[in-house]
This record gives sequence, structure tokens and C-alpha cells, in this order.
Amino acid sequence: MMLIVGTVPIRDFPLTMGRITVEGEDLVVDGRRIPPAQGTGAMISAALAAIDYLKLEAPQVLVAGDIGQGKGTREMYEYLIDKVSDISPQVMALHYCLPVMALMRRLCESVQRCRQKALMIADAGSMYAAKAAGLASCFDIFTPDAAEMAFLADPDATHPAYIARHLFDADIDRTPALVAAAYQHKNAARLLLVKGTVDYVVDGGDVVARVAEPDVPALEAVGGTGDTITGLVSAFVYAGLKPHEAAIIAARSNRMAGKFAEASPATRVQHVISQFQAVFKEYLCQWSGVCYEVGGQQ
Amino acid sequence: MPFFGRKKSSFEGGGLVLFEDVEDAMRAEKVLKEADYAVKLVAPPPELRAGCDLALEVNLVEQPGIERALKEKHAPYVRVAPLRAGTSPLLEIVKATDFGGQVMVKAGNMKLSFDKNSGVIVNVSGGGCPDIPYLHSELVDKKLTEAPRPRDIGFTLCALMLDRALEESLVLWQGGGQR
Repeated sequence: MMLIVGTVPIRDFPLTMGRITVEGEDLVVDGRRIPPAQGTGAMISAALAAIDYLKLEAPQVLVAGDIGQGKGTREMYEYLIDKVSDISPQVMALHYCLPVMALMRRLCESVQRCRQKALMIADAGSMYAAKAAGLASCFDIFTPDAAEMAFLADPDATHPAYIARHLFDADIDRTPALVAAAYQHKNAARLLLVKGTVDYVVDGGDVVARVAEPDVPALEAVGGTGDTITGLVSAFVYAGLKPHEAAIIAARSNRMAGKFAEASPATRVQHVISQFQAVFKEYLCQWSGVCYEVGGQQ
Repeated sequence: MPFFGRKKSSFEGGGLVLFEDVEDAMRAEKVLKEADYAVKLVAPPPELRAGCDLALEVNLVEQPGIERALKEKHAPYVRVAPLRAGTSPLLEIVKATDFGGQVMVKAGNMKLSFDKNSGVIVNVSGGGCPDIPYLHSELVDKKLTEAPRPRDIGFTLCALMLDRALEESLVLWQGGGQR
């Protein structure tokens, strides 16, 4: 089972867990609607697009409303700390939340009690909390953007707003140096997918791939297109690809969807997400070897 | 079905609120606890001591919300600082990228894009704090001059960086002769 965990920007949205479905333009869990917009909604939508294409079981989601005050974050993490060993997901992707180091520490302890080793992915606030608490080794995949890569490289920073200027100033060409620093200080997950002008896939400290095509610079301005990459890589590892393969295909798919969408800085992420089915149909077999014939036979 | 998590305080630090005297520290502790923030009275390290030998440990990412709560209750404090020795000062770097019809302004890991002709905010990206998707919905499609300030309605350091991006966007927009 795949579990996606994150806050949604709806003030009174209660802590809810269930299988995610799509109705019209909205995501629906237990009868409650989540917009597929920037944040956890975009991440879930992208994961669902890949999972639907691959005809896999739809993910479970654990979500709570939080607009920055932390209440939903705390409810979500306390529930997960208590229940994760019973849920025992194969893949668990942690996303938007208020970064609270103590909660992340307790969650990583709880995950150790799962019947099976969960493949752990973190992005956004969950990645900030894991790094700040020195718990990067609890995770298999981090998906930072270039600025967040500087945060992982700075051993003293507890948030990307407080990173050393010389690290933030670094050009994307210096990503390998930031990656090396992050691994040196044990602040990197086993695999990093660094999202930027060039996407870097790093496995155990070694850069195994650079993805630069197609080049769609406007994607950086489109809120939620980092979230969609995280959703895609989560879905592809759930489908059985190795993490580095999943990361490469996620990066390529996201860029191609941006190209199909003819993205400008004014593009909404929903428009990019709506391109994924066409991207998979045209390229996924070629990129991954996961091929479907007409009629759904693999 | 919805679940209702048990109420359990889960304090986490990373930041210090510094004070001139002990009375201010005690007052701030009361104000922040009433506002449901997790806080702890601690002795500040010598290099951060600003006046008194009492400080409040707070979750640094909540700095903007904490400062706003203290100001609203007129609770005096000197400043909020990262607790960890060696931490760099708050990032002040702002960069702008011209896409032709739109400009993207980047402050830290937060990016705000606006239309050069209309001054309307067309996108917000970056950041991983829970108030950013909320701020995205509050800011996008509004004119720079009419949008709410992230520092006024957000709660985290991500919101503070987005506010800097908005501030710089206003300068660029108004510097172009627009109002």
C-alpha cells in the first residue's frame, strides 16, 4: 500500500485517512474535496495520474487542514506515530507540514516497528524537519529544489531561510558540490532528486543522471511543479522501479508535461498535471520498459 | 472516516526569543502559550545573550507568527534568533528573472511571479511550509498593490521570504512607473 501524508490549505479540514479518488477537477477522500493545487494536492494528483496509468491500487492519503499554525500537522503526525506500524505501508511519502523536529524523531522511531521496511520519501516541510533533526538517514528519497539543496548542504541551518549566503548564491552548476557537502554531513537521504534548471539524480553521493531536456524554464515559476515531481517519483517506486530509475523518469515526465502544456509563468499546475496521461502514453514505455498494449495487456 | 488526534504538546526548538529583562520573558511565555505555541524558558548561550539570562525557546520556523502574536499583545522582546551556533543570518538575497511578459522574483526558496503589464500576481512557487499553499490561493490573481502581505496572514519563515519577494516585486513594478 502507498501512503501519502500532508497538510491541505483548508482551515477546518479534519484529520482524514482514506483511499483517494477523483471527482471532476477535485480530489476526494472520505467524501471531502481537496483542490489539486500547489502543495499536497498537486503531489497527490501527479501520483494518481501515474498510478492510474499503470493500473495500480490508488494510494491511501492521510491529510489534515493547516494554514501554518501547526494544529493539523500535529494531529497528522500524532496519528501516524500511533498507527504507522499497523498500517505498514510499502511506500510512504511525507509532504507539506509545519517542520517539527520532535514529531519527526518519534515518527522515525515508530517506522522501525513496521512489519515491512517502508520506502520513505520526504519533500517540503517533512524534508526540512528530517534534515533539521538529523534524521535524513531515515529516508530513502529526498526531492529538494536547488535552494533546498543549499539548505541540506549547510550543517547549521534548520530552515532554508537561514542558509549561508555563499551556499545560496551557488549556481546550479555547483549542485554536485552541495550534494557532496550534504552527504558529508549526513543530511541527505540515500537518493536525492534535485529539481532545477538541470535535475540531478544522486544515489549514495554519486550523481547518476542529469536531466536537462526538454528545457522549460517557466516551470520554476509554476507553483506545484516541484510537488508533482515528488508525486511521480513516489508512484514509480511504488510501481516497482528502482529509486534512481523512478527519479529519472519523474524528472523527464514533469519536463515533458511542461512542454506539452506550453508552460508560462502564468500556467496553473492543474494544466501541467492534465498532460501526464499523454506524456506516459508517448514516452513511458520507451523510458522505463513499462509498456501497455491496446486492451491493457502488459 | 475523519479522525481526531489526541491533544498532546510536542515542543520543538531551533529558535530563541531574547529579552531585556526577566519580566518580559515571563510575559512573553504567557502570551505565546495562550496563542497555542510550544515554548520553553531557557538560559540563552552567552553569544546570544541580549540583556537578561532568560530566553524563550521556540520553533524557529514559526518566527513570523510568534513575532506577530507578541506585538499584538504589546509584549516586548529584543529579537528572535536561531539557537544553533554557526547559523547564518536570515537570507536577504533577492533575484529577479524576466520571462518577457512576466517577472519572477525569488527570495530564499520562495518565488513570486507577476504580469509586467497588469501587475497581477500570476504564480507563487517554492517553499514547503503549510501556509504557502494557503498564501498561493490568497495572492494569485490579485494585483501586487492590492494583495494581502504574507507577513500579515502567514505564520512561517516561508511566508516571511514570500513577503520579501512581494516587497521587491512592488519595487520593480512601481519603479516601472506603475501604480
